[in-house]
Amino acid sequence: MKAPKLTAAAGLTLLATLIAPSVRAQSIDYGSLEQLFGEPVTTSATGSPQRSTEVPVDMTIISAEEIKRSGATDIPTILSRVAGVDILPFSAGASELSVRGYNQARSPRMLVLINGRQVYLDHFGYTDWYTLPVALGEIRQIELVRGPNSALFGFNAVSGVINIITYNPKYDDVDSASVATGSLNYGSATIISTARLGALSARISLASEQQDEWQNTNSAITAAQLRDPRSVRAGIDAAMDLGEHSNLRVEASYTNSSLTEMLSGYSYVASRVKSKSVKATLNSDTRFGNIQAQGYINKLDSSALPLHYYNTITVGSLQDLFKVGAGHTIRLALEYRANKVNTTSTMGGQISYMVYAPSAMWTWQAADKLSLTAAVRYDSLRLHRSGSFPAGVPNADNALWDRTIQEASYNFGAVYAATDKDTLRLTAARGLQAPTLVELGSRQVLPTTPAPTGLANLGNPNLRPAIVTNYEATYDRALPQWRARASLKLFMQQTDDVKSGTSRKQIDIPATATTWGVFSYVNIGESEMKGAEIAAQGKFGEGFRWSADTTYVEIEDKPLAGYNPVVRLVAYGMTAPKWRSNLSLGWSNGTWSADGYVHAVSRFNSYISTGLEPVPGYASLGGRLAWKGESGLEVSLNGQNLLEERQMQAKAASGLMVQRRVILQIGKAW
Amino acid sequence: MYRWRSVGGACVAAAAMLAGFSPVQAGDGAREIQVATRTLSFLDGGPTGKVVFAIVFDPSKPASVAEKDQVMAALGSGMAASGVTVVGKPVDISALSSAGDAGALYLTRGVNYAAAGAYAKSKKMLSISSDMACVQSGACVMSVAATPKVEIVVNSATAAAIGARFKAAFKMMIREI
Repeated sequence: MKAPKLTAAAGLTLLATLIAPSVRAQSIDYGSLEQLFGEPVTTSATGSPQRSTEVPVDMTIISAEEIKRSGATDIPTILSRVAGVDILPFSAGASELSVRGYNQARSPRMLVLINGRQVYLDHFGYTDWYTLPVALGEIRQIELVRGPNSALFGFNAVSGVINIITYNPKYDDVDSASVATGSLNYGSATIISTARLGALSARISLASEQQDEWQNTNSAITAAQLRDPRSVRAGIDAAMDLGEHSNLRVEASYTNSSLTEMLSGYSYVASRVKSKSVKATLNSDTRFGNIQAQGYINKLDSSALPLHYYNTITVGSLQDLFKVGAGHTIRLALEYRANKVNTTSTMGGQISYMVYAPSAMWTWQAADKLSLTAAVRYDSLRLHRSGSFPAGVPNADNALWDRTIQEASYNFGAVYAATDKDTLRLTAARGLQAPTLVELGSRQVLPTTPAPTGLANLGNPNLRPAIVTNYEATYDRALPQWRARASLKLFMQQTDDVKSGTSRKQIDIPATATTWGVFSYVNIGESEMKGAEIAAQGKFGEGFRWSADTTYVEIEDKPLAGYNPVVRLVAYGMTAPKWRSNLSLGWSNGTWSADGYVHAVSRFNSYISTGLEPVPGYASLGGRLAWKGESGLEVSLNGQNLLEERQMQAKAASGLMVQRRVILQIGKAW
Repeated sequence: MYRWRSVGGACVAAAAMLAGFSPVQAGDGAREIQVATRTLSFLDGGPTGKVVFAIVFDPSKPASVAEKDQVMAALGSGMAASGVTVVGKPVDISALSSAGDAGALYLTRGVNYAAAGAYAKSKKMLSISSDMACVQSGACVMSVAATPKVEIVVNSATAAAIGARFKAAFKMMIREI
């Protein structure tokens, strides 16, 4: 695989150099704005900077301090303690996340980004959390949006968006080093360093991690299917002032990891994943508004034999954010996206698409206490296939892939601050879950027998996007007398044109005299979800904090005649727990800190070859005890899954069980 | 253009961090001046180093005097935020000219906003108050509130009159009138 080219970055640099004298620009200084307003600040709701309590979406922001005190070594564990989040830890390195049900192997509905750059792997529609090119110590905050947000972020932001915001070297001087060791032969080392040279600031991060895979007591899972998780991550983040106010930020990363993964067909596989990326962002505050030009390239080399994907995604976007009068904020944007991947396991073809997507957002401060937001986006995806077809494959005509998918998405939100303590939030959203390149034809797994004997697993170029429509009402109340806040949420969601998985049990294209029968991906009907969530958090005494939440969801799948959601691996109603709940308690006096987290899930089901197996409900306990000296030296003892030595959390007897883990970490910040 | 009297203030900033940067317990006046100080870094071409705030008060009004005392106590030997260190200078409303080379007027509650605002405009000085009535009347460029949550209101016309311009991200997070 070729190294990423820096052409886009160089071009932006040149552009910035040319226009710098005439522009006045700033990027977002999260730290200063957070200090000023006394609460986290985000741009992930509308593209415009907003206070976390005023966004027209259902959002939770996890701060750097909360990340540190979580004691977790990975982002899925941190997010699993957030209200409404479901986690399926299939192996020591591979977990799947979703919001309010709809979780599955290769979970496709959560769009994940780092500083707005997609790290969600949309050639197949999932996030490989173990390969994310970021160290926990360089994260300023993790922003979780529940529900669709396609109007801002595009395809695949249907169950929610996770935007991981790192420190900006222009504003944040972050320097730290840490090592850790623990049970299951866990070991990790991380170094993060920021340097400034005139107008140029840069942060580098290097991280390495390894541990043993969980114990396998199932003879049906072979040693060849398992691989101990190991990863190396490296990143550089540089920001440069251009002229008095302009700013250019360039981020590049590299990861190399190996681990056990759970394939979408619910079988374990030993995989190896390498990724490279480079991104450049120019911010310019002109008299026409704050203009942002951004471009990035992601390259992925992912093998889970016999499948081997080489995926390249190139994204360019231009955005203008401006105010009209005192009460109107408007964002106009245009995004270009090119995505391509090879056919596999039988090579020889390439599936690709280009997307052009104009979008607009309007926030109107209609009254002192009422703000209204409307955002729309129109995606036009042009699909293409090139290359050869193996003998025996039906519909062997590249012209069948010359197809355009055009869909609109929207987000509407109203935030009414009824009193100083009470806020009511109403949202409506339509999100798009696009067919992935794998579903559209990259998947080309053929039998070893000549046609028509045997079955081929192929993509479907006619697959339609799933459409997710979501309505939610949220009531937030500040309880200053108890130094607390509480919220109640009611929500309902409908998914149309649910995309199925593939199953040998159902033939989608019958065999002919010269072609194999095919099992593929199809749209199989609808699914409805409704539920409620209650959450509260607060502080008490000297240095104590607490939080508690519970979320109930009820999912009903409504397949088209002739389709069984269990067979097609989209039986969301039966595989989602009804309840997921969290309770945490923490204390700190500045030198010592202690935190505990309980995560409880009601029973659910997981797929096995004959249908479903029940997974009992469970409660897990994690925690951290830490001491921090004045010199910045910090020693902590961290634990996960402390209640039982081994526990079923993703699958029952057919899978690996989560194991207890205790880790000693020593770090120093300077 | 509004005037800033800035001097290198690294040592003062460090001292202020220790002496006066955690005055939250002192009361609303203390928290409001902290918010006001932090807004300075969002001024386009804003000040760096030491900045003098003239704390304008009316000795005949106990509330004004009390707020002046709160603010002066909070500022102490200097309040630092984002490269700026603000020091306070009490100024009687009847002697505005004694504000001298102050970088901004901080109008305590109940002073004659019109008179102080007119003086600030004539000197191209930033004017800030914790009373929303000041910004609503056009006398102040900005009003700040700290409880129950931080609220910042900017009078666009008054800001334009003194040549003050705020950064785009800041403008999108505050209320303009």
